[in-house]
Amino acid sequence: MSIVDKTPKTPKSSNASSSVTARKVLEPERFALIGVWLVLIVFFIAMIPEYFPTMANLSNMLGSQAVLLILALGLIIPLRAGDYDLSIGSVLALSAVTVAALNVNYGWPIWAAAAVAIIAGMLVGVINGFIVTKFDINPFIVTLGMGTVIIGISYMISNTRTITTVDPALSEAVLAKPFFGIPVDFYYAVILCALVWYVFEYTAFGQRLLFIGQNSDVARLNGVPVNKSRWIALILSATVAGMAGVVYVGTTSSADTTSGQGFLLPAYAAAFLGSTTIRIGRFNPWGTLIAVYFLVTGITGLQLMGAPPYVQYLFYGGALVIAVVLSKVVRARSERKRLAIQIN
Amino acid sequence: MTFESTPNLGGGASSASTLVPVLEVKALTKSFSGVQALQGVDLQIASGEVHGLLGANGCGKSTLIKILAGFYCADGGHIHVNGREIALPFGPRGLRDHGVAFVHQDLGLVPDSTVIEHMALDYYGAESLVKRINWRSERQRVSDLLNRFEVDVDPDSTIDVLSPVQRAMVAVVRAVGDQEVGDYESSGAKLLILDEPTVFLPSEQVDLLLSLLQRLKSRGDSVLLVSHDIDEVLAATDRVTVLRDGKLIGSRNTSGSTRSDVVEMILGSPEVHLPRTASADQSKKRTLLKADKISGERIRDLDLEVRAGEVLGVTGLAGSGFEELPELLFGARPLKAGTITVADEEIRHANPLKLMSRRVVLIPADRKADGAAQQLTLVENLSLPFLGDHLRGWKIGWKKLRTQAKAICLRLNVVPPNVELPFGNLSGGNQQKALIGKWLETEPEVMLLNEPTQGVDIGARKEIFKLIRATVSDGMGVLCATSDYEQLVEMADRVIVLCNGRLSGELLGDEITKDSLAAAVYSKGAS
Repeated sequence: MSIVDKTPKTPKSSNASSSVTARKVLEPERFALIGVWLVLIVFFIAMIPEYFPTMANLSNMLGSQAVLLILALGLIIPLRAGDYDLSIGSVLALSAVTVAALNVNYGWPIWAAAAVAIIAGMLVGVINGFIVTKFDINPFIVTLGMGTVIIGISYMISNTRTITTVDPALSEAVLAKPFFGIPVDFYYAVILCALVWYVFEYTAFGQRLLFIGQNSDVARLNGVPVNKSRWIALILSATVAGMAGVVYVGTTSSADTTSGQGFLLPAYAAAFLGSTTIRIGRFNPWGTLIAVYFLVTGITGLQLMGAPPYVQYLFYGGALVIAVVLSKVVRARSERKRLAIQIN
Repeated sequence: MTFESTPNLGGGASSASTLVPVLEVKALTKSFSGVQALQGVDLQIASGEVHGLLGANGCGKSTLIKILAGFYCADGGHIHVNGREIALPFGPRGLRDHGVAFVHQDLGLVPDSTVIEHMALDYYGAESLVKRINWRSERQRVSDLLNRFEVDVDPDSTIDVLSPVQRAMVAVVRAVGDQEVGDYESSGAKLLILDEPTVFLPSEQVDLLLSLLQRLKSRGDSVLLVSHDIDEVLAATDRVTVLRDGKLIGSRNTSGSTRSDVVEMILGSPEVHLPRTASADQSKKRTLLKADKISGERIRDLDLEVRAGEVLGVTGLAGSGFEELPELLFGARPLKAGTITVADEEIRHANPLKLMSRRVVLIPADRKADGAAQQLTLVENLSLPFLGDHLRGWKIGWKKLRTQAKAICLRLNVVPPNVELPFGNLSGGNQQKALIGKWLETEPEVMLLNEPTQGVDIGARKEIFKLIRATVSDGMGVLCATSDYEQLVEMADRVIVLCNGRLSGELLGDEITKDSLAAAVYSKGAS
């Protein structure tokens, strides 16, 4: 405290040093997750050299997680504005059974079925956003309820059965291996990732979501249409979940209502873990991508080493909790550094 | 008001020492980063007396109360409760563990819980967390307590259906009830400290609360009443203590004191009476923003005009409504009645976006909560209003925004001028300069300021004054709501004073002095 009293106003001396330190102290933490990921990869290569570093395994890991990555990329849009969308898993299921039912039971062409499925997802987002913004209700509870309603509707559409023999054209569009033997759905996910990155970094909409999430009063007093932006974000997350549902049907050629439900928690785990890297403290698409593949590396490697399938529950659940704790700790640390800088 | 002022100890401050006082504060000091908020303050409260604590804004009375309540630690001094010295610093519960009860301005009541639930919380919470609450005996205890103090409130009603004064009385009875069940070491008289309990009460209901204090006194309890309102303190207390600029000015018996005696102690100079009309040359200036009969939460039927080339100051006591005026005019708070006109165009359903598009900007009082997102960078915060304008095609031009933010920092002498730093890294003064710079960049016609130099160091404060004066001479209109009189003296061309949400006075040019402002603010009783 004595420092404060003795040096009342010495802005010039503090200014150069503080800016340098502030930039430097945050650097290594940004890439910590990537470092741990690389260590994990090296570990598995050393432990199971015959199974892990193979093209088949790489192709499998990258392709199998595209649905999850797409879903998580949609999720981080409302998360950026501080809103939780818990209906995305159900929207994925709704979209999947809609594609399958329209195509198989009603003989619709696959592209029309897919378009209707994505629009159905979008409509869920419109309803979610309407309730959240017009009645000023926490989206957490609205989307929890809506998600359950949608599961009911999905059962209605699928008649509680698994619908199989979907038009193989969809599988081809999703699982073809045009570059380096990796399924094309991985590239879809990467393109979406770049798109979300662009929206977050270079559009007024993305920047407004960030302010709403950080401090909605500041956003409001700067003329940001807070409710409209939150509504659009919820529409986008549901629409992207609808797309994830279509891709999901492509990977399995079948759909039932339980399909989407395993995706909700891994999507949150990836979003929160992703916010501890690249742009610390912010939900960001490249971080989400890294988190998704970090998690699947761990799970696949352990399973290849002989771990039982349920290891994924430990991994995803653990990752979510650790990510949330980590982001809190990192924030508290940078807060302390910030104060230290201010006093100097 | 007809309370007998009976100094039960039979005389002046000196005789209080013949009995053991309930609370004795000696030579209490406290400073905040070099500024002395309390400079050796003494205070004695005798048992069975209602004691008033008076002083203008910044005199140190809230610092004193916050030390007693455990919010702040004192730097030095001694505190005795019923003759026993309590070692400094206290824990977070302050003097509560020694039988002193507090009722703060916000009362600490939850709107949709019942009176009984509030009291059971304290009663059972003090004993055991898992003991079964016997609601029947609890209802009996609470209604006995309310009856004993003649507070006519249904114990089963929720707080939100009660009138403001009923809420205040419930808070007082709750505090007293808490004292009774507490197992305190000290067995002497009890003390209740009320921190500005009447600010949010309609004036016709204040008497009800004050008579409750007399009933407490008649049981032999003591009360410390902190207030802005001189008439109320004169009516309700036996003795008053006055602080000014962190120093004790003195204590005196209420009986035999007149209003002007006390005002002179508070201000250090006699009360003056004010003219209330605007001079001709001021009103000739072009009107930029006009409010007709607007009402908000506290403000009632207020008319005002912000003119080109002037700084209009707005001030008053806490709770008089001046604090909400900038946000009300900016459309950031609901306007209950009246119209706002900007450049001869009436703004319907005002919201911040509409006002911004008419070149009206707001700089809020609470920079942390409303001014800027502290974790985001300087360039992000300074760009928020411009994101739409700088979209070339579909892309935010960060390069251009960064250059603009740097230019703002250099022009306003914001240090460090590193626009990639989190906003919260800047000191209060630099944050405020950056925010003012951001809004000046939008070339506003009217700037609404709310406490613009709160938490701002002296150097930055001067720079901000200079900056505002410079923009005003370029033809901008400024409205500045503040309780800082010095600031108004330095900056304002015209000051309006609010009282109970209504206009109670206006000062112009050379009439604006620290004394005249203080007098105008305290002239409620005279008007």
